[in-house]
Amino acid sequence: MKKWHLLLILALTTVLLTACNGTNKAQGEESTNVKVGIRSSEVKTWEFIAEQAEKEGINLELVTLSAQVDPNQTLADGDIDINAFQHVAYLDLFNTNNGTDIVPIGTTIIAPLGLYSSKHDSLDDVKDGATIAVPSDPSNWGRALLLLQENGILTVSDDFDGNGGEDRIKENPKNLKIVPVDGATTPRVMEDTDFAIINNGVAVQAGLYLKDAIIHESDTAKPFINIIATNAEDAENEIYQKIVEIYQNEETSKFIEETYSGNYIPVKLTLEELSTWKEVYSYND
Amino acid sequence: MEVSREIILGAIWETLYMVSIGLFFGATLGLILGITLVVTRKGHILENRWVFGIVNPIVNIFRSIPFIILLVAIIPFTRLIVGTAIGTTAAIVPLVLHIGPYISRLIENSLLEVDEGIIEAAKAMGATPWQIIRKFLIPEAFPSLILSVTTATIGLIGATAMAGAVGGGGLGDVAITYGYQRFDEMTILVTVILLVAFVQLIQTIGNRLERHFRHSS
Repeated sequence: MKKWHLLLILALTTVLLTACNGTNKAQGEESTNVKVGIRSSEVKTWEFIAEQAEKEGINLELVTLSAQVDPNQTLADGDIDINAFQHVAYLDLFNTNNGTDIVPIGTTIIAPLGLYSSKHDSLDDVKDGATIAVPSDPSNWGRALLLLQENGILTVSDDFDGNGGEDRIKENPKNLKIVPVDGATTPRVMEDTDFAIINNGVAVQAGLYLKDAIIHESDTAKPFINIIATNAEDAENEIYQKIVEIYQNEETSKFIEETYSGNYIPVKLTLEELSTWKEVYSYND
Repeated sequence: MEVSREIILGAIWETLYMVSIGLFFGATLGLILGITLVVTRKGHILENRWVFGIVNPIVNIFRSIPFIILLVAIIPFTRLIVGTAIGTTAAIVPLVLHIGPYISRLIENSLLEVDEGIIEAAKAMGATPWQIIRKFLIPEAFPSLILSVTTATIGLIGATAMAGAVGGGGLGDVAITYGYQRFDEMTILVTVILLVAFVQLIQTIGNRLERHFRHSS
């Protein structure tokens, strides 16, 4: 007897659940439910945005993905509607490697790389033969070289593609010694070098703030500006546009500056301005 | 291959430099620790519970620490010894502390294989402990010691791949940063072939020397 009851309940539940799913799907077209894939580092910002979105009648569902999952793959598979975790250069690489067509729909922040020193406090101290530690992974090494180029300290090679390397330096008039070390080692060797270029996340972990940096990236470091992205066919979706607007409004910017102690800089570039990001690689000529 | 000849040549030099200097100091440290571990153990010529009780766990501790952690953990010590914590010379300090204790265990094994009868005979002849070590223990185990050091050298080559974490460079680092991370298979292949050749060469030299000394003794 009991078995029958159990089966009945199970059957009923299944029917009910399926029905619920069905209604959800039916409403899908006009639904204002939006799933956004993010990393845990920006949860606070997105909770703040979700609050504002709710007032506009948008139900923002935050899907926090761990490092093992690429939110672009999740997006391409249709499990989320938009994502916000990456910079333009990374998205470009992902699209190239995976044949996907994911596009940026708005800029968010930049987590700037900075030049720090425990000995000097000005760029004027970059003397002939000075040593600068840089992160040894190619993408951050490349960013470091671009930061130095932007400040007129050296120039990158003609075939520069964003990746760093000893062979990616064209002119080094001050004969600087660029020492690649493990990213997490950069703050630890500041005593041994004149300067160290430190990745945003690593700097925060080491107790360094962007305001302590002698120079740092700004919204001119276009390849490294973070974005909200979606599948190309949804690029014109008005609800997604609305979310971009919320991210770029004054309250959100203020919230980001306060919450992350100025380590993330809100960026509001148009997509057109952003589209020329590759020019940064070669603007030395 | 995207990487230039200069980078590869520079890396070969850095590897040779780290391995040779690292091996010299590492083997010296290893020999001292290894002999200490043998002669101070119970029933041996200089039995000393205290010395053995201190050296033995210290060797174990250094052998337990993952090399990448050791590299960073001893930065202040490295700075004290060579004046800086980055670069190829600086990488040698952690390499020595990594390989020395390893060599000491290999040397310990080699020395323990020496026939006890030989030591007994030396004692009977009235040899001092220092004489036993120098004239009997080491010469008896010499061919085996050569093989131990050969094995350690190859381990040291492997460890140098991590030197890049503190800007030490070397072939292993080129394979990682220019090959693996840039998806440049050719660079990986070239550096790995060079490393294989290097290891083959060292093992061959080690085997030849061992054979030479085994026959001449």
